Amino acid sequence: MNLFAPRKIYTVSEITAGVKACLESEFSQVSVEGEISNLAAAASGHLYFGLKDKGAQIRCVCFRGKARFLKFRAEDGLQVIASGNLSVYEPRGDYQLIVDFMEPKGFGSLQLAFEQLKARLHAEGLFDVQRKKSLPLLPRCIGIVTSPTGAAIQDILRILRRRHENLRVLIYPARVQGQGAATEIAAGIRALNGLSEIDVMIVGRGGGSLEDLWAFNEEIVARAIFESRIPVISAVGHEVDFTISDFVADLRAPTPSAAAELVVSQKQTMLEQVAALENRLQQSFQFRLSQLRNQVLTLSADRVFASVGGRLGYYRQRLDELSFRLESRLGSHLGELKGRERLLAADLGHFDLRKMLRLKRETVGSQFSRLQGASRLFLQSARGQVQALDNSLQALSPLAVLDRGYAICRDVRGNIVKDATILQPGDSFSVRLARGQVEGQAKRIQAAEN
Amino acid sequence: MSKPKDFETALQRLEEIVRKLDSGDLPLASLLEVYEEGVTLSRFCQTKLEEAERKVEILNKKADGTMERSPFNEPDPGPGSQD
Repeated sequence: MNLFAPRKIYTVSEITAGVKACLESEFSQVSVEGEISNLAAAASGHLYFGLKDKGAQIRCVCFRGKARFLKFRAEDGLQVIASGNLSVYEPRGDYQLIVDFMEPKGFGSLQLAFEQLKARLHAEGLFDVQRKKSLPLLPRCIGIVTSPTGAAIQDILRILRRRHENLRVLIYPARVQGQGAATEIAAGIRALNGLSEIDVMIVGRGGGSLEDLWAFNEEIVARAIFESRIPVISAVGHEVDFTISDFVADLRAPTPSAAAELVVSQKQTMLEQVAALENRLQQSFQFRLSQLRNQVLTLSADRVFASVGGRLGYYRQRLDELSFRLESRLGSHLGELKGRERLLAADLGHFDLRKMLRLKRETVGSQFSRLQGASRLFLQSARGQVQALDNSLQALSPLAVLDRGYAICRDVRGNIVKDATILQPGDSFSVRLARGQVEGQAKRIQAAEN
Repeated sequence: MSKPKDFETALQRLEEIVRKLDSGDLPLASLLEVYEEGVTLSRFCQTKLEEAERKVEILNKKADGTMERSPFNEPDPGPGSQD
């Protein structure tokens, strides 16, 4: 061994630069598969992490400029394929992979991004059922955030036209795909929230690829929906497409057309509910009337109180008045029902003869004729019952009072004694009880104490 | 009996009245009044359900950032248009 042979002695910088040059030329544009570990997202936006497999580990960095374009969130434990160039970080002598692009192994970035955002927002409570608002019973104005030239707006307006719905519609035009679409949609949701007249909102678009629908999977849209004061119906793509918007929205409609149907279906429900309530109103009222009549008839068999006057005149007059009002009320109500039936019949005439519509018309027709028949019958019987009540009311009121233990005292002329000082000691009087009568004589008079 | 404020309130009141009538403890004097109120409310609800204007508008962003409304031209579907 020749100790004096000239030796090449590198400085640290020189050898590091040599290794770096060697690595960079030998391993440019490589793709490495491994599991992300020790991920650190710096405030600068750069991502630092390791990629590892069973036997080894390599340091990686993904600079902000590239990290920005990752659709999914890098997380520890995620299996990925990272592409980029090998290089050396000279200050520490570490070699590392400068990552330009990364995708999850086994499924697409978008799919992973969807699952990640869904899990995150779910954990944060954005999908909570108790946070969901119910649709207004009777919306007067719908806000729609969608493309003014897309299929969705046409579908929605067509449904509203076909259902003869007289609603106000306010469209916020937003791009629904491509760069910036999510921001526009979110801005639309916020802008419509600033308008007081809007009762419900539809946010959506027609069908398309996963990429086309992507704006509705963005966090900014999800947050705008969550913060909306106005109930939001999400209507994105077709029945099979689920987006993050669908999970956050107060209601998910399978398609934009279905969203329009959902908004107006409430009205049909309401019409039915009001009709049902009115029906119950009539029945209860009729039932109560007949109950009271029976009571009166039973009591009026007792003629003891036939002569009591007083408030009866008032009751009789009140009854006359009420029965007159009832009669005119029912009469005009019946007229109105007839008018509505005519209107409906005219409306229905515009429909084509598709099966569903024909069925609907038959149902509506029979409901109206039933209601009409019921009202007519009711009017007749209510009139009779009010008359019967009027005839026998004279007996009702005082008897009820006496039955509770009160008595009526009269002087010899038959006048009702309300004040003790009307009688003098020695005066005769009679006391009428609920059952029977007592005659007596005043012993001592005691005036009311004030 | 005051005039109902809006549809939701009227419907709620109508339900209340029907329950009251159903419970059967109303004196005769208020029976007719309550019934009459019920019929009025029912009619109010029906009127509300029928009324409303049809108008389709679109918002346009102006240069100063404010929004302006203009009528939205619905394309005429024409006869025989299908889904």
